[in-house]
Amino acid sequence: MNESAQGHLASKHAILDPALALPFPQAALPILRDPQLRRNIAHATDIIQAKRAKLVAEKTDWWQLRDAASAIRNHALENLGTYLEEFESRCTAAGGRVHWAADAAEARRIILELLREEKASEVIKIKTMTSAEIQLNPFLQKAGVDVFETDLAEIILQLGEEEPSHIVVPALHINREQVREIFARRMGLEHLSDDPEALTAAARNYLRQKFLKIPTAIGGANFLIAETGSVVVVESEGNGRMCLTLPRTMITLAGIEKVLPRFRDLEVMLQVLARSATGERMNPYTSLWTGVMPGDGPQHFHVVLLDNGRSPILARRTERQTLKCIRCAACINTCPVYRQTGGHAYGSVYPGPIGAILTPQLEQMKHAQSLPYASSLCGACYEVCPVKINIPEVLIELRARVVDEERDHSKRLIDPMYVGMKLANFLFQKAWRFHLAQRLGRIAVLIFTGHDGWIHSLPGMGAKWTQTRDLRGLPRQTFHEWWATRAREKK
Amino acid sequence: MNASDQSRQNILASIRAATRVGATDSLQVAADYEALPRTYIRRGELSNEELCELMVERLREYDAAVTECAPEALAATIAAQLKASGWQTFIAPTNLPADWLTSGFNWKIDRKLRTEEVEEAEGVVTAAFCGIADSGTIVLHHSEAEGRRLLSLLPDWHLCVLRASQLVETLPEYFDRCKEPPHLATYISGPSATADIEMTRIKGVHGPRFLVVILVRDV
Repeated sequence: MNESAQGHLASKHAILDPALALPFPQAALPILRDPQLRRNIAHATDIIQAKRAKLVAEKTDWWQLRDAASAIRNHALENLGTYLEEFESRCTAAGGRVHWAADAAEARRIILELLREEKASEVIKIKTMTSAEIQLNPFLQKAGVDVFETDLAEIILQLGEEEPSHIVVPALHINREQVREIFARRMGLEHLSDDPEALTAAARNYLRQKFLKIPTAIGGANFLIAETGSVVVVESEGNGRMCLTLPRTMITLAGIEKVLPRFRDLEVMLQVLARSATGERMNPYTSLWTGVMPGDGPQHFHVVLLDNGRSPILARRTERQTLKCIRCAACINTCPVYRQTGGHAYGSVYPGPIGAILTPQLEQMKHAQSLPYASSLCGACYEVCPVKINIPEVLIELRARVVDEERDHSKRLIDPMYVGMKLANFLFQKAWRFHLAQRLGRIAVLIFTGHDGWIHSLPGMGAKWTQTRDLRGLPRQTFHEWWATRAREKK
Repeated sequence: MNASDQSRQNILASIRAATRVGATDSLQVAADYEALPRTYIRRGELSNEELCELMVERLREYDAAVTECAPEALAATIAAQLKASGWQTFIAPTNLPADWLTSGFNWKIDRKLRTEEVEEAEGVVTAAFCGIADSGTIVLHHSEAEGRRLLSLLPDWHLCVLRASQLVETLPEYFDRCKEPPHLATYISGPSATADIEMTRIKGVHGPRFLVVILVRDV
């Protein structure tokens, strides 16, 4: 194994279950020390960002499209109950069957039951982050169903036993030599070259027979149309079209927030989605279908509508906008934090700024509490969001909720943060107290200051700062003291 | 009541509690929807000539091969493209115009062709519903001249005949052309592609690797 192929092993142990994942700063550390991984991430995000910027600039009505996209999504969420029922009745009338899943476990159980009805021992899959959210693949494997991912990036991850690090290009942390190594090993192709064209051809050959033979498919949805009961899938490779056309049975897993009121709303969404996601005027293939069409495509069609923590988010005005998201990942590509850490540090299938607000809320603030802090609040995410989600605003709101949750009044007298803030309050009230504290503090900090004049490690609360960066030692004088001496010397 | 019905009730109740809008307000919902801001560009401004030029330019950017021809030269142009492809066996949707089925080739008309038969064919010829110049998109609504979805998916070579009168400039103009929402639709913008490996665009993953468009100048 060459050096670069070893490089990605650091990410092998990534855990994308928010309940088990390490807090963000700890999870980010091994990645920050992996230059290959960081190069891969920077390369991919730079390319998408440049393409996006060019195509957004050519659209003279971009801001009007954003306003419309935001308003449509907002309206759909405000009336979500009405539109979901409308979708259900139209889809059912067209021959589809709609199932409702309150949580991940129920969605997994429904899907397994449907597969048992079909006597399916194998299933092909279109890329869907929602299925990763409910950890569907390991569950089906354990139940004896072989799952074959068909999106190129998902094949790389599945065969390489890797975790996704991005929601649009999930394998962007893996470079061509690493893909070559994975394919050569798992497909038995010893002499495979690392040319992306050869690697893509290998994936095509690997999957062709599976498309033709496996009669059951699982996919996600980019949009559900309430007016018609149609489902829309946006993709590039054609693996989606294969899964939507060849099998006998199709199962669509979709979050309840994916609904759009009417067919014509796509005239806005399709204009903003591809430009934001991949920097294309339009993605190569978009498919729309309605229930079951005699003689064309699957004759059994199921939609599983997944709540899994979404409906409570609607109740809070500020946080509700989180659910407007159309999963374009523009915020992820532009985020200065994601660009350094990549996706695995977020401990969730939804990384980056959108993941930082979505994951803790889906977990009902019980897990992933470090994520609202994984941001510099620079606002770049809000600026590029095609549906105008004010991510910094939601981040601040969630930080407040994390603090509220952690606050335990009975123990406040032994809580260093509480005691520290009370003490600061007392010291800052009078100038002399503040100056005295500065002098004493300077002496105390000397113990931790190295010979190079930097503080590399602080105890207790201070460690939260020094675990990821060094701190310059305090100067011998404060500005005030220097100013006073200067004035005296002048005289 | 089974578990999914119970979940349905719970989820809808939870949504309604969170949004405080009941299904009884459907008139209000419709009024709110109509009031949504739609100040983006609906209609294009290009002349017919410019529209054709833009569509051709966009298609070529996607590596599609484009030929233009007059309506009376269509059959000959189709024949020339089929010959140039080097293939012999072509699929035709049920209602492809008879004069498009030029002689000298092995045509398989889609009278309930089995998947294996479609897979074995080398190419396919279809009509289209519409072309959107702004994004170089070909729209199929899968009528009997456009064919079932399978037909334009499995063969490696797809020849699509598009008329200049079917072109629109903007995406909203396509929606204006739909009298009814389609039951099936496929929007094709260039041949199948991926950029999953180091963001390098590779043509032809699972869909047809070759997209050939004949633009008939009927206006």
